[in-house]
Amino acid sequence: MQQRITFLLFTVISLLIFAGCYLFSITLSKTSFASGTILLLCLLFLASYQLRKKISFLPLGSSAAWLRFHIFIGFLSFVVFAIHTRLQIPNGLLEFILFLTYYTVFLSGVVGLFLSRTIPYRLLSRGEEVLFERIPVHRRKIHDRVKTLVFDDAQPEQGAALPDFYHKHLQDFFEGPRHQISHILHSKRHLHQLKQKISAQEPFLDEQEQVRLQQIAEQIQLKDDLDYQYIFQAIIKLWLFVHVPLTYSLIIFAFYHALAACAFASTSG
Amino acid sequence: MSEPSISRPRRWDKPFSLEPGSEEEMTDADVEILLKKPPFSQIDPAGFKRSLPLHDIIKNDARVVGFDDGDIVVRRGDWGNSAFFILSGNVRVGLERGKPTLPDEILGRRHHKVKNLWESFSQLWRNHSVPEVRKLDSVFSKSELKTRHAHNSTRIYLQEVSAVLDKYHTARLETGHWFGELAALGRTSRVATVFSEGVSQLLEIRWQGIRDILRHDQNGKLKQYIEDAFRERALAAFLRTTPLFHDCQPELMQRIVDQVEFHTFGNYDSPKPFKDLIENQDHATEGGEPVIIREGDYPSGIVMIRSGLARISQRHYNGRRTIGYLSPGQIFGLDEIRAEVQSLTPVGCRTQLSAIGHLNAVLVPTPLVEELLKQNDSTGAADLHEVKTHVSDSGSHSVKINDDTLLSQLVDQNFVQGTSLMVIDLERCTRCDDCVRACSTAHDNNPRFIRHGPILNQYMIPNSCLHCVDPICMIECPTGAIFRDFAQGDIIINEQTCIGCAQCASNCPFDAIRMVDIRDSKGNIIVDSKTRSPLTQATKCDLCIDQRGGPACERACPHDALFRVDMQDASQVGEVFSR
Ligand code: SF4
Ligand code: SF4
Repeated sequence: MQQRITFLLFTVISLLIFAGCYLFSITLSKTSFASGTILLLCLLFLASYQLRKKISFLPLGSSAAWLRFHIFIGFLSFVVFAIHTRLQIPNGLLEFILFLTYYTVFLSGVVGLFLSRTIPYRLLSRGEEVLFERIPVHRRKIHDRVKTLVFDDAQPEQGAALPDFYHKHLQDFFEGPRHQISHILHSKRHLHQLKQKISAQEPFLDEQEQVRLQQIAEQIQLKDDLDYQYIFQAIIKLWLFVHVPLTYSLIIFAFYHALAACAFASTSG
Repeated sequence: MSEPSISRPRRWDKPFSLEPGSEEEMTDADVEILLKKPPFSQIDPAGFKRSLPLHDIIKNDARVVGFDDGDIVVRRGDWGNSAFFILSGNVRVGLERGKPTLPDEILGRRHHKVKNLWESFSQLWRNHSVPEVRKLDSVFSKSELKTRHAHNSTRIYLQEVSAVLDKYHTARLETGHWFGELAALGRTSRVATVFSEGVSQLLEIRWQGIRDILRHDQNGKLKQYIEDAFRERALAAFLRTTPLFHDCQPELMQRIVDQVEFHTFGNYDSPKPFKDLIENQDHATEGGEPVIIREGDYPSGIVMIRSGLARISQRHYNGRRTIGYLSPGQIFGLDEIRAEVQSLTPVGCRTQLSAIGHLNAVLVPTPLVEELLKQNDSTGAADLHEVKTHVSDSGSHSVKINDDTLLSQLVDQNFVQGTSLMVIDLERCTRCDDCVRACSTAHDNNPRFIRHGPILNQYMIPNSCLHCVDPICMIECPTGAIFRDFAQGDIIINEQTCIGCAQCASNCPFDAIRMVDIRDSKGNIIVDSKTRSPLTQATKCDLCIDQRGGPACERACPHDALFRVDMQDASQVGEVFSR
């Protein structure tokens, strides 16, 4: 219901802006000054969300309400931007950079919206809930457990089945986050391959080694789940590093553009 | 570089009588006089430990306070940490709990010292870069204890006592009576407002003192006294809070009051039942809890919860399934008695009631309930529909969550204790940690929780303070530094009186209290002047009590993923957990 109302409101406001610009264009020759001003205001409002986050202890409304409004104004800015640029690619270099930056910020916003709606489900679907900053510690612990299983005191390090298998197939896997693209694509092919290698190795092991290999297989699963958690948490953190700095650049370019436009308008009378 | 040092605070470094609001310091002579008068003269001092004699308890945990005409002593709804004994004069108690007596406006409800706009804003640059900074002079120090405010400087009073007496229903309590002990012992809010009628002198005892007296009073006179007082003064009003008793005839009510039995389950002092509950989930629903009424038994009466929480469960194959829980004021067993009245054959309970942790309950015997039901039926006095709705609510699922397993986990892990339980819906949470950052900014860069804790279905319950209905963290605090805020009921820690003994932290079953080394503004760890060991203090979520706009974490979540839920509020619980 709430979504429908928002959509309706969005359509009405967009139509009003269209109509306003059209009427304005009948009476005056240029509408870009008006649409540009609205656009700049939209951008300033959009950027102020980051400021709101910094002063969360003040009763300025909930961050969730601000985000909803941020998204709404973000989409509205797209409509205004389309009117402002008349859906054409600008000629000037600065305008072109501005054009490109706006679209990147807008698209990154849309991507962010998509990520924030989908990643929570993905994170819930696999692995243990771990704080991002703690993931390396967990990974190290898993790796240490595996090394203990592989390099049992009784075994000579070289020429034994498990250490050889470890060096060949496991060492790299346990050393850092791996198979990130597969995780993003929700593929488990790498895991199946590793399990196949384990099955192929089993006939060459004695009973004790087989037990230990099974324990190693459990750690492989844990480490893979951790990688899954890592990549999705990293994506959402990385996204902010793209969206926020780009927004600031956009604001700087937009101000420069506005100043130039005003200066031009005043000199041309 | 020399470390800043002060002497480590201890219990009774600061006797109650030296705290602001006291009349004058309690002397040995004052204590001797008191010990000669009942009820103290009836307490056998031989039962007390040598390290904790009755004399010292009274000297340090009690104080004499003088009140003028109209001065408010306690207000309905405030959280009580102390009990009062009338030494001279009279006080008036506002009656009819649940009905609008003595409205808030004339009670001058106090407000917190919330940061003003400038103070809030300046947190952005005034927060310290090192953790847990304290001002040296704000940490408990003996020199500060010598200063005290004039005892009437912050007192609230009723302007026209005679007009108040004409307009509102009140009762007089005279010299020799106790009041406030039930709220102090049950760790519940005050049920009535009490104000002084004329000039009166009261002995106020903080609950740690009453607890110690009850613990060592071998002939149990004080306990008996407190029970009798409750029966005499508050029981009828308490019973009338449920629709069933609304229109009970005075004669029947008097018989009910005379015959009601008081029952206590679980240990008042020990947080053990909670810890067991959480650590040993297998026993949570079966052997771990004292059973109040067993499934299949004929109830000997209806049980009404006074304080604490109770679990309603039902046999499910070879185990028990939790189907609801009861909070204070709710009743159990009425359905069965009603069915018995209608069919004239005894009906066994379809569900079982057990106590979660410490629980106080009253039992109204079956014959009296039957009489009451017949009276209500014949006179049509009570709104039967209202009674039935209430009863069926409390008799089965008092709090509705569509998911039985989730409800059961919430009860098993005792999260139903929370009056402000933090819940993060992981289906919405993007793990951005804006909530933690907001908490950190609001607390001098020391966040009071991390986004980590048990996960039930898709809900994470971070290890943040729940602000329990029955806050067992307060039980052992020797100085009362951890207390319920009078105005809001939040559990907060007073850093001026926290001596760092860690009792609260070890009692909290939710690991919500952290002991931290405290530092001065330069980042140096503050040490005890004698032992040179670092001074620690307890810290935890204070629900942003000094911030404008309440809990920063909840407001900071961009995805509506973090909630503060009052687990006693069925509608809130339903809203959050059944989305
Ligand atoms: S309510 Fe305030 S103190 Fe408590 S966790 Fe939230 S932000 Fe921190
Ligand atoms: S602010 Fe909300 S979305 Fe971000 S980590 Fe906290 S609960 Fe999750």
